[in-house]
Amino acid sequence: MTLVELHEMIPLLILGGAVVPLLLTVSFYRNLKLTVALTVLIFIAAFTSLFFAPKPVRTDGSLLSMDGYALFYIGLFLAASLVVALLSYGYVRERKDDCQEFYILLILATLGASVLAAANSFIPLFLGLEILSVSLYVLISYLRGFTRCIEAGVKYLILAAASSAFLLFGIALFYAECGTMDFKGISEILQIQGMPTPLLYAAFGLLFVGFGFKLAIVPFHMWTPDVYEGAPSPVTAYIATVSKGAVFSLLVRFFFIMGAHQYKKLLFLFSAIAVASMFTGNLLALRQENVKRVLAYSSIAHLGYLLVAFIAGGDLAVEAAAFYLVSYFITTLAAFGVVAALSGGERDADSIEDYRGLFWQRPWLAAALTAALLSLAGIPLTAGFLAKYYLVAAGMKARLWALVIILIINSAISIYYYLRIVAVMYAEPDAGQNAGRTAFSSSPAAGVALCVMTLLLVWIGVYPQTLITIINAVINYAYPF
Amino acid sequence: MTELVWIIPALPLAGFLTLAFFGRRLARPAVAWIGAGSVGLSAAAASVLAAAFMVNPPAGSSYTLTLWTWMSVGGFAPQISFYLDPLSIVFVLIITFVGFLIHLYSVEFMADDEGYSRFFAYMNLFIGSMLILVLAGDLLLLYLGWEGVGLCSYLLIGFWYRDPKNGLAARKAFIMTRVGDTAMAIGLFLLLKSFGTLNVQDLMAAASGQWSRGSALAAVSAALLLGGALGKSAQLPLQTWLPDAMAGPTPVSALIHAATMVTAGVYLIGRTHALFELAPVVMNAVAVIGAATLLVAGLSALAQTDIKRVLAYSTISQIGYMFLALGVGAWSAAIFHFVTHAFFKALLFLGAGAVILALDDEHDMTKMGGLRKKLPLVFWSFMAGAASLSALPLVSAGFYSKEMILWRSFVGWSGNPLLWAAGLAGAFITALYTFRMVFITFFGQPKSDVHRVPGWRMNLPLLVLACLSVAGGFVETPDTLGNVRIFSGFLRSVFQALPVRESLAGLELSLQIPAALAPLLGLLAAYLFYMTIPANGRRFSPAARGSRLRRFFFSGWGFDWLYDKLFVLPFIFAARKNRNDVADMVNRGIAAISLSANRGLSWTQSGMLRWYAIGIAAGAIIMIGLAVVL
Repeated sequence: MTLVELHEMIPLLILGGAVVPLLLTVSFYRNLKLTVALTVLIFIAAFTSLFFAPKPVRTDGSLLSMDGYALFYIGLFLAASLVVALLSYGYVRERKDDCQEFYILLILATLGASVLAAANSFIPLFLGLEILSVSLYVLISYLRGFTRCIEAGVKYLILAAASSAFLLFGIALFYAECGTMDFKGISEILQIQGMPTPLLYAAFGLLFVGFGFKLAIVPFHMWTPDVYEGAPSPVTAYIATVSKGAVFSLLVRFFFIMGAHQYKKLLFLFSAIAVASMFTGNLLALRQENVKRVLAYSSIAHLGYLLVAFIAGGDLAVEAAAFYLVSYFITTLAAFGVVAALSGGERDADSIEDYRGLFWQRPWLAAALTAALLSLAGIPLTAGFLAKYYLVAAGMKARLWALVIILIINSAISIYYYLRIVAVMYAEPDAGQNAGRTAFSSSPAAGVALCVMTLLLVWIGVYPQTLITIINAVINYAYPF
Repeated sequence: MTELVWIIPALPLAGFLTLAFFGRRLARPAVAWIGAGSVGLSAAAASVLAAAFMVNPPAGSSYTLTLWTWMSVGGFAPQISFYLDPLSIVFVLIITFVGFLIHLYSVEFMADDEGYSRFFAYMNLFIGSMLILVLAGDLLLLYLGWEGVGLCSYLLIGFWYRDPKNGLAARKAFIMTRVGDTAMAIGLFLLLKSFGTLNVQDLMAAASGQWSRGSALAAVSAALLLGGALGKSAQLPLQTWLPDAMAGPTPVSALIHAATMVTAGVYLIGRTHALFELAPVVMNAVAVIGAATLLVAGLSALAQTDIKRVLAYSTISQIGYMFLALGVGAWSAAIFHFVTHAFFKALLFLGAGAVILALDDEHDMTKMGGLRKKLPLVFWSFMAGAASLSALPLVSAGFYSKEMILWRSFVGWSGNPLLWAAGLAGAFITALYTFRMVFITFFGQPKSDVHRVPGWRMNLPLLVLACLSVAGGFVETPDTLGNVRIFSGFLRSVFQALPVRESLAGLELSLQIPAALAPLLGLLAAYLFYMTIPANGRRFSPAARGSRLRRFFFSGWGFDWLYDKLFVLPFIFAARKNRNDVADMVNRGIAAISLSANRGLSWTQSGMLRWYAIGIAAGAIIMIGLAVVL
């Protein structure tokens, strides 16, 4: 390993290396405030180090490529993890006494996600995916006093293990056919072959089972509502954002390096998945009474939307996907942040009835959730609108008329269940119905995080140019594909 | 200096936000200070900026301040930018100054209203939107201001919302202007499709470069923009909303008629005049519509008994003059008439408001009379406004602007004697209905008691506007009367002077004489008819029914009736026939399908792990199957 390569790896080294002293600290001196402060510091340090990354040299055959694309997504994951750490401070503290390990796991999961964003070969891909998954198993069932957490953790564990098996089998097939684990190497062999052999097609299919599970797209989506509902709200936010974003960034990189856009068969497959995900997610959310499940179904639909840009391909698609993920991250973190802030003590505030008349008691929280829901629905002046506009633009450019029309129909369907929650929040509260409401559990840290997310959400909706400039500058800093 | 232009619209908008969020908690004096003060500061900023602009004009006599690019996707990059040139400066000055005087007046006028802070919040938003409209460098931003103005007019016309009648008037204004707005939006789409930008200056340059004079595309897009202008400016055939808009508080009417809203159409055509010059057909249509509107509305004004409705029809008629001027290519004449009209129409409305307040909310002129002695200041300022509206020669601002329009409509680019004759007849009618109103209201026998006399906050705006209505015209006088060209000289960088037909240039004096005589004749006719035979004034009350013609005029030429028969009744008929809804079946169908699909899918979410595992396995089989077999 050369010095330059070591320099490139610094963000990952910070994340991985920091876990050791943190573990030692926790074993000798248990103090939650200190742990959270250190976690925040570590995330900030790793984030800062991104700005000092050297200009990467293109070396074929390297396991990780810390190019502009990877740096952008690692930055995004670090920022999102930081927000999750802040959101979970008050939430976890109330439910469990010694919860310092929660933050160590959070750092490890982020390390896994970052490795995925930079993976250039199947080996870091699998390593990153497993670091992420194993951390998530524990994080989901971290509050082991609650049976629903245990249930969600077990479900996730078994299904994720099963899908990993498919993924591994797919990797094995690739290796059997091409004799290399390197993306670039495989793509060269594919170039020579012209059309992939049936065995390679099967390998693609198996690989996508593994990806599809993590992305929660149809037909691998069924775990989503159960796990979203059972997991602690900040962890749910983490699964919805960082975990999915990491796999999606990997998928884009993999697809582009493989030049897989020329294989119509695969595009057809993804189109079918996109359509099925949009409809399934939105239709299932329609009559759902549990807010966390609504958000789970909505995330299935949103991944379906995102696939439209992915299928479109081209430069605009990379830009559109990045913009979409950023605004989706912000929106989702804001939404789950409100859920976490409202959930105190015994159970999460996940029934729609918990939100009745919220505006009259906690106007700021209600305003934040309203902004998040409007952004999810894609109403103008929120980040979600421009993100969706981007997707439609990318789809139109690639002349994917059918997909774009289905996307629009689905946006219309989705407005119903988003606005239903908004309407409930602004309804006059009934007398005496507050008895059933859980206590509030917001901490100042979570309040600040929530406030920043909401402001960003509106800011990007009004003034998106900064973000667009950043995306273009960073991703093109060293164009990877 | 000019880079501070953003302050001008920002101040009223900040006032709006403050009042909207904290208005209910603020004391009334504080509300008044914020509401009127923000517009006053904006006016001060505008005048400083205008002075700086005139003393030290930027290169090309225009300045663009680009705040940010809203978004930049696929070659479409609308910018949030303000464009400052003589045309927008004139509009900004009028909007802020007249707007400020109206705000000051409202402080007293609305003093007893319970919706005090709500009123000022809407008014500030109104001014802010109008400023965005005239300052916008991009048609998309202009459209934002355009719709903001539409929204505020809806909110303010229906300000006293407890009376359903007011709500209906507000809705009528909104829907009628919406017809025009739709045409305008389509026009914007067409322009965007043709040139890929909505920046006004780029657009005008591209249109002049790529479209030949008389090309079909230019005509269609100009006609669509004209549609928007007709709606906002209440011209034929979309004029019917304006008389009903009197349902709002009187300062609102003053604001809508003088400084904001109805002049937006004039501004739009002036701003995009390069496009209209490419479409001679549309130009002619503008002139004809203007001429027809000024006659139709003028005759309608003659039969009204509600003092505010007289003024409303007179606004439609005067905007008709502006359209006539625009149609013959006399751009600066139209803008000049806009300026003088803003002075005297604001004055007349504020004066009428003072009268209405003094007589305890009495609108009916037949119940007024003899107010000359009881409200002397209102009377004299009202007289100044009336003189200016009827364009009494030499001593009124209105004379100079109207004379310019008449002269141009004869000798101008596409002018002809018919348009001139219509304008001349309109001038006679204007003087007739104006002094009919003056004589009935202020002369004769007193019929009701004066309850309150206006205080200084109402008097001051009246006085200022009265001075402007008299003297405001001296910045531009015809060749035969001193040949002052300050106003058109200022606008020269915006509007290249269109040629006057040389063969007719000698006619100027002989055309001026009838133009000066027509208003005097109108005044004389009004005097003979209403002063010498006071009973004639009473005969105009709707209770007396009057002749068929009078009723026809009273109803504004039956346009409401016609639209009822043409659009409303067929629509209601169709709606009734369609009670079990063909159109809704699509919506309900989608909802029903969605719900049943929801039920159908719900069973997949059983919560049982083995089901989920089967899902993954089945998915894997399908994936591999499709990938290999297809």
